[in-house]
Amino acid sequence: MIVTGREPAHGNGAAWNVTDHERDHRRDYRRRLRRSDAMVAGLWASAAAALALFLAYGGAGQFGTVSDAVTSLGVIAGLVGTDFVLVMIVLAARIPLIDRTVGHDRAIAVHRSLGKPALFLLLAHAILLIVGYGMASGSNPIAEFGPMLAIPDLPLAFVGLGLLIVVVITSLVAVRRKFSYEGWHLVHLLSYVAVLVAVPHQLSVGGIFAGGSLERAYWLALYIVAFGAIATFRVAEPLVSSVRHRLRVGAVTQIAPGVVSIEMTGRRLRRLHYAGGQFFIWRFWTGRTWWHSHPISLSSVPSDRTARITVRNLGTGSNAISRVPVGTRVWFEGPYGIFTDAGRTAPKLAIAVAGIGITPVRAFLEDSDIRPGEATILLRASTPEETYLWDEVIELARHKGATVYTMVGRRSTGPRGWMPANDDRRGVTLSSIFPDLTESDLYICGPTAWLDLVEAEALADGIPPHQLHTERFDW
Amino acid sequence: MSVRATLGGIFASAAILGIGWQFGSAAAHTFATQASTPPSTTTGSTGTDSPTASAAPAPSSSPPVSASAGSASGTFIGAVESTRYGDVQVEITVANGKITDVTALHLTDRDGRSVQISNRAAPTLRSEVISSQSARVDSVSGATYTSDGYVSSVQSAIDRAGL
Repeated sequence: MIVTGREPAHGNGAAWNVTDHERDHRRDYRRRLRRSDAMVAGLWASAAAALALFLAYGGAGQFGTVSDAVTSLGVIAGLVGTDFVLVMIVLAARIPLIDRTVGHDRAIAVHRSLGKPALFLLLAHAILLIVGYGMASGSNPIAEFGPMLAIPDLPLAFVGLGLLIVVVITSLVAVRRKFSYEGWHLVHLLSYVAVLVAVPHQLSVGGIFAGGSLERAYWLALYIVAFGAIATFRVAEPLVSSVRHRLRVGAVTQIAPGVVSIEMTGRRLRRLHYAGGQFFIWRFWTGRTWWHSHPISLSSVPSDRTARITVRNLGTGSNAISRVPVGTRVWFEGPYGIFTDAGRTAPKLAIAVAGIGITPVRAFLEDSDIRPGEATILLRASTPEETYLWDEVIELARHKGATVYTMVGRRSTGPRGWMPANDDRRGVTLSSIFPDLTESDLYICGPTAWLDLVEAEALADGIPPHQLHTERFDW
Repeated sequence: MSVRATLGGIFASAAILGIGWQFGSAAAHTFATQASTPPSTTTGSTGTDSPTASAAPAPSSSPPVSASAGSASGTFIGAVESTRYGDVQVEITVANGKITDVTALHLTDRDGRSVQISNRAAPTLRSEVISSQSARVDSVSGATYTSDGYVSSVQSAIDRAGL
């Protein structure tokens, strides 16, 4: 274990008790919290609005008979389920306001958590309506299937439901692992088709969205917002940005076995408004790599003409991009993420990184205006060969007055599996490395299994969850 | 999820549901009054006794035919009945004072589901009217609006035929 930088300034904490710096963190945090609360409330309100559409149509009076009640429940399930699907599309659109407020990974976590409820609601919609219609006409649900398919636009709706089932099943964690990211993503794009082919039956089969009604206008506006957000932020904006900044590979340097730094050159890169720690989704235009896209953080703050990423061979995709020739055209989406100074909430800063997880932290440290003694950094590697960028981080830490601890060695089989065995035996804990842990923002970046262990110990030591900032290497 | 987000979500949702509920009861009220709209201007009349082809299935078409009082013969068009799922209008065919056929000129059709329901209910209502020779027939379950409109229109047609 080595320690560099100045001594932590425990003695004169009173002088820094409340600085402008801390006040800014708190004010920004409160502002973000207000925005994220409003978004959560908006999510529930949109589901309520779907239900209100049914009530406004006089739905409250349509529970008189069993078949009416079943049919009404089916309609409600369809309305709320569709609302969830549209909210999911909005969450996946990488809208800058949402990314700045809760971060892309939390938006996607909510997106995922809505997937199964949305599918169950839409399945319930189909089943309840088949049963409800069947009860009304005195036929069993299977016999009712034929007459239902005779209703205009309903066959298309069944196609949409089928596609949605495929999309959700391929996104279940266990199933998704069997796909490449690209294969899974291709299937996932079907969800747009599924959502769109369901529109005609919503407008024509029930009377809620009658032509010219306010309800119809509201419902179509939801679709326009969701698909407009995708078209703007997932298609148009990345295309324009990629064309405008004209990034090309300038140099590929091997910095350790299996690890390369890729320098890219472009123009007007300051206009990207990049904050240290953010990531981009890269696409390298060579014959072997153009269909892969890679979420990778910059490993230093870009100049106006150059940007650098550092990549380790984690999969076949990143193996291929470590061999891209100089001059390759590069497209990108981003920058994304709040693994940055903007995520700060607490007076102190604690950083724990392992392996290639050092890259966003390297850029974050360069970009952040920490005071001497504010930050403590833990660097973790399994072998001395995996200490890439450590020299740069230690140099930055020395310059900014941050404390650095390092841990090298195979993982402990003891209670603290995230650290080497000899450190574990000596009784090192997360709190002994970061004595002000509960007063700190803890930024963790590294392999998921390692990160989970550090996160669990931090929470057990009493750090408030909003002070945890994590960047996991998975999708 | 913070308390503020939870409370905000609950209150916003409650407000939106309240507005929806309010619109819903207003709508139910409107439809209740519409259902009692008086019959249209088409009236049956006495005159020639040759029952010709039935009228075109348009609500405003007037009957080309009629019958004499008592043992009426011919076709008689009923009033247009408005329901929340669309208009209902029927035409009855009468031979020697007996209803021999009921033709639906217009059935509830505001949306795909209404079309399905009215197409299912119409044959049942037709045969019940013919067998009972009156408009006093039971509603078809699951097709209340269509049934109500149908029997009202049948009744007005019977009135015009003077049966």
